[in-house]
Amino acid sequence: MFNAIVSANTLQATLDSVGVLVDECKIHMEEDGLEIRAVDPANVGMVDLSLSAEAFESYEADGGLIGVNLVRLQDIAGMADSDQLVHLELDEETRKLHISIDGLEYTLALIDPESIREEPDLPDLDLPANIVIEGRDIDRAVTAADMVSDHIELGVDDAEEVFYVKAEGDTDDVHLELDTDDLIDLVVGAASSLFSLDYLKDMNKAIPADAEVRMELGEEFPVKMHFDIADGEGAVTFMLAPRIQSN
Amino acid sequence: MEFAAFADTAATVEDEPADLEIRTIVADALADAGSDLPTVTRFLLGRVFPAHDSRTLDIGPQLLYEALARAAGQNVSADDVETRLAETGEIGEVAASYEFGGQQGLAAFSAGGTEGLAVADVEDDLRSLAAAEGAGSQETKLDTLFGLFNRCESAEAKYLARLVLSEMRLGVGEGTVRDAIAEAFDVPVEDVQRALQVSNDYGHVATTAREEGASGLADITLTVGRPVQAMLAQTGTVTGALEDWGEAGVEIKYDGARVQVHYDGEAVSLYSRNMEEVTDPLPEVVETVESVVDVPVILDGEVVAVDDDGTPLPFQQVLRRFRRKHDVARAREDVSVRLHAFDCLHADGEDLLDAPLATRHERLASVVDDESVVSTLQVHDDAEAIEAVETDALAGGHEGIMLKQPEAAYTPGKRGQDWRKRKPDVETLDLVVTGAEWGEGRRASLLGTFELSVRAGEAYETIGKVATGITDEQLEELTDLLSPHIRNEDGTAVDIAPAVVFEVGYEEIQTSPTYSSGYALRFPRFVTVREDKEPATADTLERVKRLAGEGGR
Repeated sequence: MFNAIVSANTLQATLDSVGVLVDECKIHMEEDGLEIRAVDPANVGMVDLSLSAEAFESYEADGGLIGVNLVRLQDIAGMADSDQLVHLELDEETRKLHISIDGLEYTLALIDPESIREEPDLPDLDLPANIVIEGRDIDRAVTAADMVSDHIELGVDDAEEVFYVKAEGDTDDVHLELDTDDLIDLVVGAASSLFSLDYLKDMNKAIPADAEVRMELGEEFPVKMHFDIADGEGAVTFMLAPRIQSN
Repeated sequence: MEFAAFADTAATVEDEPADLEIRTIVADALADAGSDLPTVTRFLLGRVFPAHDSRTLDIGPQLLYEALARAAGQNVSADDVETRLAETGEIGEVAASYEFGGQQGLAAFSAGGTEGLAVADVEDDLRSLAAAEGAGSQETKLDTLFGLFNRCESAEAKYLARLVLSEMRLGVGEGTVRDAIAEAFDVPVEDVQRALQVSNDYGHVATTAREEGASGLADITLTVGRPVQAMLAQTGTVTGALEDWGEAGVEIKYDGARVQVHYDGEAVSLYSRNMEEVTDPLPEVVETVESVVDVPVILDGEVVAVDDDGTPLPFQQVLRRFRRKHDVARAREDVSVRLHAFDCLHADGEDLLDAPLATRHERLASVVDDESVVSTLQVHDDAEAIEAVETDALAGGHEGIMLKQPEAAYTPGKRGQDWRKRKPDVETLDLVVTGAEWGEGRRASLLGTFELSVRAGEAYETIGKVATGITDEQLEELTDLLSPHIRNEDGTAVDIAPAVVFEVGYEEIQTSPTYSSGYALRFPRFVTVREDKEPATADTLERVKRLAGEGGR
């Protein structure tokens, strides 16, 4: 059983966070909210999302699981204005999701969850550096790096107490440093890892400019980025595996 | 099996020049493949799916270049990959030239995560990639390919790149794999061959050979809904067919496209000669089958485009319909198509591949409840009767005739001697008309059966008679043309002064005591009147001798 009413912008933010990595996903409809975990086809980037029942205008669920085509669902959610309400109801008989938006009725065929890529285990990592940064600063770093390279190095200089971003292109380089004044918070630790911008750009799209992002970094370790959606009633974690630094 | 081990085998095969050795290497690889046997069998042939499967990877070169670039390291672009391809000329070499694995996977940071790439992983990923469709699917395909290459050593990348583009080029053909299956699992090669013909699934046949041996292979039967390869024809001659078989089955050769009809009792599916499904583009064929067939069948036939009067249209018109994906209803209004079924491979639970043609055709006629859908099969033992069939076929706007051995089984995929397309005339001769016969019945006032002669110095020597390939209308014109040159008549036989030159096609020239030139034309056919030639410039006996010599007789 699943029957819920949610604001369009909460639904859109939820779907976008997952949709930047995968085209289809499993949604767990737990009694206290939705849970989604997905990994991209190359097993490099992962998203772990929970949306509390409190984020909904009304919410009823009893622990079911559905598979959805995210691209399709994002299109439908995009039909609503951000302040409109979206009513979602699962028809257990037909295994279809009924979506209504102000008189617009859409019946979405679901995907067999078995056919969807298995949900990954969340690697249990204890990363030494913690950076709390505004979404717009991540966007600035990614945009700058993208001008010169397809890779980006993220690191912490513990002596200088700065978080730095480096990108080396064939001819041009980009370097950006943010100190404790620029950041919301910084816990220094040995940290320097190289990441593919393809993935980071996608994740960046789903991070709101005004979000407070807690970033965990290590030496040649995956990066974790945590931020809230739906006024704190939803939590998203992105995790991205590093590239090996060749020099 | 690790994909690295597969790549190793592939490299060994590729470097081995001797066919026998290749077979042994492939046989060893199959014997060692374990649970990956079907996959390894298909991969060696450069396939991800069995041949009867209509799924495809649908990966263009550009997508592959992008995936390679992304996996290759920092700041490599798809253009760079393409540049390298232009230099080396082979995508496998290009893929092998990069160092992959720069991007780590998340699994490397989980407990117990392994990063080795197994044959099964490659197959799983490629299959999920084939299933991706709709918005965003290109991105998913790119991510999946990138993920695969990212886990490849350069030797693996070489063969993965080739597999993805269906360009394996190991020098391992279907015959090699067939023989290797027989060798690896100690089963007769004929049994493997038969099982492959009916199933079109090398992986399945290999597994069956290993698990159940020859008796298991014998149990592999045709399945309605799974296309088999079409039996093919060689070119041949009427005289050759009659010499070899005594009598020949003769059918119209339709100028259309081959289609295999599968009806399971409820639904019809249609497949092209390449085993691609063409059900949707040909709704009227589906309707025809639904209305005239009651029991499950597999039929072989030809789909011909026709105009409003039912006259056949050129082959290109049918192809246009085959390729049509959208707006089929409108295409159908422009060009309608008609099914001519000429063989029956399966009827109501019974496989008929091993039955003689004549028996299969009887079953065909009995399961199809509409004579106009069934191609007429006539069995003749004399060339003249066959000529008459051909004349009618040509007059009806068809391409010619097919000759079929009435006792032969249906051998899928084989271009054998049991079916022959009558060889089109390779050569024509310009011959002088030196005689004719008055016709009979309604043709009593028309000249026919023209005597033909070659030039031998100043004289003319006979070489044959032509009565085939001429319409009634043409007979009238020829009578008018030749009548002024009649020298004398004896009963119906007419002696004609050398004046008119015919262009005549033939199958062969043979030596013969019947005609004064010492040669005879086999299966001569009237082509046209050479208005531009006179007897003095007609073909000579020397030329005929030379042509006969080339024929090896």
